Amino acid sequence: MKGIKKVLLGLLVILVIIQFIQPARNKSGQAMPNDISKMVAMPAKVQGILKKACYDCHSNNTQYPWYANVQPLNWFLDDHVQSGKAELNFNEFGAYTPRRQQSKLRSIENSLKDGTMPLSSYTLIHRNAILSEAEKMQIISWVQISRDSLSKKNF
Amino acid sequence: MKTLIYSLAFSLLFLAACSNGNKETQTTATPDSTATKDVVAETSEKGASTAALLSSYIKLKNALTADNDKDAAAAGNEMVAGFASFDKKSLTPEQDKAYTDIYDDGKEHAEHIGANVGNIAHQREHFDMLSKDMYDLVKLLGTNQSLYVDHCPMYNKNKGAIWLSEVKDIKNPYLGKAMPTCGTVQEELK
Repeated sequence: MKGIKKVLLGLLVILVIIQFIQPARNKSGQAMPNDISKMVAMPAKVQGILKKACYDCHSNNTQYPWYANVQPLNWFLDDHVQSGKAELNFNEFGAYTPRRQQSKLRSIENSLKDGTMPLSSYTLIHRNAILSEAEKMQIISWVQISRDSLSKKNF
Repeated sequence: MKTLIYSLAFSLLFLAACSNGNKETQTTATPDSTATKDVVAETSEKGASTAALLSSYIKLKNALTADNDKDAAAAGNEMVAGFASFDKKSLTPEQDKAYTDIYDDGKEHAEHIGANVGNIAHQREHFDMLSKDMYDLVKLLGTNQSLYVDHCPMYNKNKGAIWLSEVKDIKNPYLGKAMPTCGTVQEELK
């Protein structure tokens, strides 16, 4: 019994210590010359939907929830943000090659249709990121218009 | 209190296990690239630069034709290595620019195919886009084997998709065993 208590105490100490190890926040106050809004027209409604449902992981600015201050949850969050940004970053969209821009837009459409995005682990807490059919349609039609306008620009 | 501590300890373990798993898949996605490098470097005739990539692509295509997601993923990873070891030295500046565009896109599709064992529908989505990249790559740099450009009219809700094949017979990688002979030859590349 004493042994168990020691182990638990040890874990508690570890838990306290890791609170001081916090990964750098995904926040940027810099201008974004490569932002997608510089490449294609973006209606305010579309921007609003992307902001609330996508930008936490797919942009240079994350709106952190309160539990982001608690480790090890923050590691988990940081991991998601890093891989999300590597996959698609709306703020760096202009830096992609033309072909990749097309692929990204198509993948946005596909993941909305398949329901793979936004992630269910994300919408579990961010209930307002669950998109209605109308919102999905808005994004999909914006994607299609953007693909056309980008392909005209590049060829 | 005890249960609280227990649950904290468990969640800690769980999260640690999670992040470890992620790292593993990342490292397996980059198999040794030196093997393919030698092959590309040895031959320098026209179309030789695309040979290694095309051979992995054909493997990928055949795996999808057989509905085999594991072989498809392996071939996808082979293509990632092929893109990484591709020798750009012989390219003209114009070719280089076009190649970079194709590479940037194609490499990513290959990565996704490699990482999606168990989700063949997703592998096929990326194969669709990758096939267009490979078609343009062959158009740009040539090939030393004859290839057929095949067209599947039904894939992607009847929007259609192309693929490259080494044989004249239609073997459809998008519909697999469900409709193996659906499609037509559109073009021959030499």
